[in-house]
Amino acid sequence: MLRSLRGLLCRPRKLDHGYALHTAAKDCLSAAVSQDAHTPAPTPRAVFYTSENNPANHGEQHEGRHYSIPLEEVRAVFPHGLPYRFQQQIKTFNEAFLMVRKPALELFSYLKSSNFAHPAVRYVIYGEKGTGKTMTLCHVIHYCTRQGWLVLHIPDAHLWVKNCRELLQSSYKKGRLDQPLQASSWLKNFKTSNERFLKEIKTQRRYVWDKRESTEQGRPLGEVVEQGLARVRSASDAVGVVLKELKQQSHLGSFRLLVAVDGVNALWGQTTLKKEDKSRVSPEELTLVYNLRKMMMNDWTGGAIVTTLSQTGSLFKPSSAYLPQELLGKEGFDALDPFVPIPVPNYSHREFESCYRYYLDRKWLQHENARTEDGKEELRFLSGSNPRQLDRLAGPL
Amino acid sequence: MAAPMAALGGRLRAWLPRLTQVRWSRYNPSYIEPEVNKELYRKPPVELAEEEKEKLERKALQPVKAAPPSLSSSVFSDPMISKFTNMMMKDGNKVLARSLMAQTLEAIKRKQLEKYHKAPADEKETIECNPYVIFHQALKNCQPIIGLTSITRGGKSYQVPVPLTDNRKRFLAMKWMITECRENKHRRTLMPEKLSQELLQAYSNEGPIIKKKHMLHKMAEANRAYAHYRWW
Repeated sequence: MLRSLRGLLCRPRKLDHGYALHTAAKDCLSAAVSQDAHTPAPTPRAVFYTSENNPANHGEQHEGRHYSIPLEEVRAVFPHGLPYRFQQQIKTFNEAFLMVRKPALELFSYLKSSNFAHPAVRYVIYGEKGTGKTMTLCHVIHYCTRQGWLVLHIPDAHLWVKNCRELLQSSYKKGRLDQPLQASSWLKNFKTSNERFLKEIKTQRRYVWDKRESTEQGRPLGEVVEQGLARVRSASDAVGVVLKELKQQSHLGSFRLLVAVDGVNALWGQTTLKKEDKSRVSPEELTLVYNLRKMMMNDWTGGAIVTTLSQTGSLFKPSSAYLPQELLGKEGFDALDPFVPIPVPNYSHREFESCYRYYLDRKWLQHENARTEDGKEELRFLSGSNPRQLDRLAGPL
Repeated sequence: MAAPMAALGGRLRAWLPRLTQVRWSRYNPSYIEPEVNKELYRKPPVELAEEEKEKLERKALQPVKAAPPSLSSSVFSDPMISKFTNMMMKDGNKVLARSLMAQTLEAIKRKQLEKYHKAPADEKETIECNPYVIFHQALKNCQPIIGLTSITRGGKSYQVPVPLTDNRKRFLAMKWMITECRENKHRRTLMPEKLSQELLQAYSNEGPIIKKKHMLHKMAEANRAYAHYRWW
């Protein structure tokens, strides 16, 4: 009863003023109109919308509903990591709405009830193409950021194993290769999302970068990041140092660490990079991949590791592969074993309805036949309730 | 066209080879066209008149031609959009042409929605966000009313103003749109972006294609004197 009433009440929104007035007016209008029985009105927002903006309070009753993330928070929490099409939607609608789905709720219950004195548990989100794995990961990241965790988010590990213009020989270890561009862009985004932690965490030993520069013990971690950004040659080593420090200090309990990696199967697959003598580079010869693999081991406490498998950017994997064994290969599976698998299915009936109503409400479906029952059934059939296909189909309509 | 050709062939049979039609159908004349409209089949039998009931019964026994791949029973299919997609297609790559069309419609919708959300409340009604409405209106605005054709008289060829059929008008509008978007764009601009830009300009009666249409009208007006050279 309360649930249905909640959708009909006008409430002020926490966005900027001009937009708040418009949406408050729209809410009142849609509430007023939906109370009329005879007009074919826009349906009440309670079906696809919830005002609960804190992911910590999301429960079963919010399943299938969209919640909004304020735009400043989007810029702070997700400097990288949101899918490109979702970023375009945010730009067009001027707001970020994320659907609450079962896999994310499952992950929240595991994270809430996990014992942080035990070694970090690894969660692997898998599913077919376009079912919402990356968005589930983003939901979890938002939850952890709201809870005050330190989030180590690698938006797409596949970007580190392909299309790299510059490969430098590592000065730290012979035989390893550095990737300055990828490392520096990741450090920049890491700095944006975790400003306050970089001031609090101190280094535990002295790091020498080259003949002239070094970072003393006890300096804030932000200095290491600045060093990596200023001297691009040592960016990959800076990333390695950051990962090592975080892993060593997470058991102290001053912060909780979430390692979120999208496309984790890239770490144990093959690369398309070639050395100067045209021989293939294997992933462990890359500094970034080597250090990230150490992070994925469950020999540290005080946090969790949430990863996603992805066939979309992967190399040398058939397009029908989506199960962990197929995408990770023997080496990867053994490295990640034991893990908690979290499958992400296509939209259920209710979730499809919710997404469809959301598109109608935001005026994304403009075709006059898209509003009819025939149009809805056709969209359901053509997309197969797959979120990505539905998004692609609804684009030109 | 077929009847005068056949008569001509019949009269000059002695020295002209038999004329055969170039485009013709192998189907037996008893085959009927496929009916894709779902609304017709959904009508309950009570509503139908006597003749329609009889027609449906007869249709159940008649053989039906195979439906061509471009005929769609989707509620979202639009013949004008299909025609435009076919004209954009190169080397038979319909998949690419269709995806370009979809991206164009999406680009138009995004641009208009951004404008809509930023506009103050009183201007919101004037902004059209439906890409199909914009597409149809833009092509309608680009259609010329009168065309020019070359007629040779006394050894010299003149540009004579001539009325255009509906099909020809639609064809010219689409052809101009596609040629403009292929040629006058920066090397790095993609087709959907340029097309969406041109369609939005044509919707508000501006842009190079509307200018081309006006030039054609002016030429026809200037060559008004030769209008009597037309004999049809």
